[in-house]
Amino acid sequence: MSSPRTLPQALAPRHYSTVNWVGLQTLYMKEVRRFMSVATQTILAPMVTTLLFLAVFVLALGHAVDKVAGEPYMAFLAPGLIMMAITQNAFANTSSSILISKIQGNIVDLLMPPLTPLERTVGLAGGGLTRGLVVGVATWVAMVPFVPVGLAHPGFILFHAVMASLLMSLVGVLAGVWAEKFDHMAAITNFIVTPAAFLSGTFYSAERLPPLWQGVAHANPLFYMIDGFRYGFIGHADGSLTAGILVLLGANAVLLWLTHRLFATGYHLKA
Amino acid sequence: MSRAFALQARRFGPVNWIGCWSLLRRQFKNGFSDLHYTILGPVISNALYLLLFVIASSSLTTLDPKAIVTFIAPGLISFAIAERAFEVSGANLIFDKHERIHFDWLMAPLTPTEKAACFALSSTIGGMAVGVAVALMTLLFVPAAVAHLGALLFFALATGMMHGLIGTLLGIWAVKWDQYTALHTFVLLPLAFLSGVFAPVASMPETAQTLIAFNPIFYLIDGFRYGAIGEASADLRLSVGVAVAVNAGLFAWVHYWLRTGYRLKS
Repeated sequence: MSSPRTLPQALAPRHYSTVNWVGLQTLYMKEVRRFMSVATQTILAPMVTTLLFLAVFVLALGHAVDKVAGEPYMAFLAPGLIMMAITQNAFANTSSSILISKIQGNIVDLLMPPLTPLERTVGLAGGGLTRGLVVGVATWVAMVPFVPVGLAHPGFILFHAVMASLLMSLVGVLAGVWAEKFDHMAAITNFIVTPAAFLSGTFYSAERLPPLWQGVAHANPLFYMIDGFRYGFIGHADGSLTAGILVLLGANAVLLWLTHRLFATGYHLKA
Repeated sequence: MSRAFALQARRFGPVNWIGCWSLLRRQFKNGFSDLHYTILGPVISNALYLLLFVIASSSLTTLDPKAIVTFIAPGLISFAIAERAFEVSGANLIFDKHERIHFDWLMAPLTPTEKAACFALSSTIGGMAVGVAVALMTLLFVPAAVAHLGALLFFALATGMMHGLIGTLLGIWAVKWDQYTALHTFVLLPLAFLSGVFAPVASMPETAQTLIAFNPIFYLIDGFRYGAIGEASADLRLSVGVAVAVNAGLFAWVHYWLRTGYRLKS
């Protein structure tokens, strides 16, 4: 007869302190390596297309534009284009990561590890945030030889870049969780993300718009990202900077909470 | 009693029509299953481009937005045809190679000419379908413009065929999706964007004008715009010549690769 034995220490559930740092770091690094391993597509390609946009708009309109917000058209356009690249890539990173995992079935790798919903949110959004910032820096470096971009308020540049990139990676997480097919993602990109980016005041100054389009711009969170970001470069903003900062902080807080809820409840993930 | 007749290789006429028709249908089955991507996507993004140009030009410049949109719209239609045509053959081929189902058409009793023609034709038709959709969308911004129907159709078809053949070459050559998207982003897209889609060549710096003269896509777009609004920057005969020569050259190239089995039968 064997006597009752206590479980060896090694078989007890593993305990983590408040934050599972190793797990969080692993998830974050997985998200970063995912885009770094195809850097041509994820960093270089957006850089080139952004430069093309710059060339196209400057060629088509530049000769007829006197000055926008006291700046040559190119200097006005450049920060908006950098921001557009940041937002689109932050969104693409998280949304594609989750959707592809769901379709290939390896989403369990995200759901099973001992991570809290908050750690999952931070790890994923951190990856998107990093991609957005890396693409932003790459695009900026590529533009410097062509465009006289100033650095009026570096703090604003950094704040808006981080806030915008975070915001769009969280939106990407939501989209990735919701979508079930690539079709759904294409629809979100075509009907929401791209129009929001295009009609946000990247290419024109909202100040000079007719009231209708000005209203459209001011209802668009991307307008505040671009406006504040551009203020950091050229020292001129179309809208209120305080309102912009509040909108970005508020939107990010709401999105963080929402993403956390989704991971906590397992919506569309743990069917 | 001889069974020789029954065992002989099957004979086709000069053209294996049934085979061609089957290959064409196969190409379309892949291409038209996701209308979201293929038709609606380009329609919306091109509508956004036009809207952007209207807002930007009317708020920032004294230029007439109507004139700008009239100029850009044919370029965008032509660009949409090109993108789709390229995708039909290029993406299909790489997908086939990855799934190793390209044997389906490699083994079929089709001559290299027939295969090349089917790839070119399916791309052209796919491109035209998107082109028509984008053209209808532009009617929201500008009245319909057909100055020279013959030129319009010729350059639309030539654009579709050329990009279909480029897509075929790239699809045969590329081993990974990476290479395919890289060539698209770093070569084809710059060539198309910097070809006078968005701005009259005359308004560009001299060096840019010289460079553009070597860009075949410029002649296709220029000719198409001539067909639509009757304005051309280049000599029309030169544009037609470039379109025919480039298409013939590309067709011969595709034919050569299909005949030798380069990267397909190794």
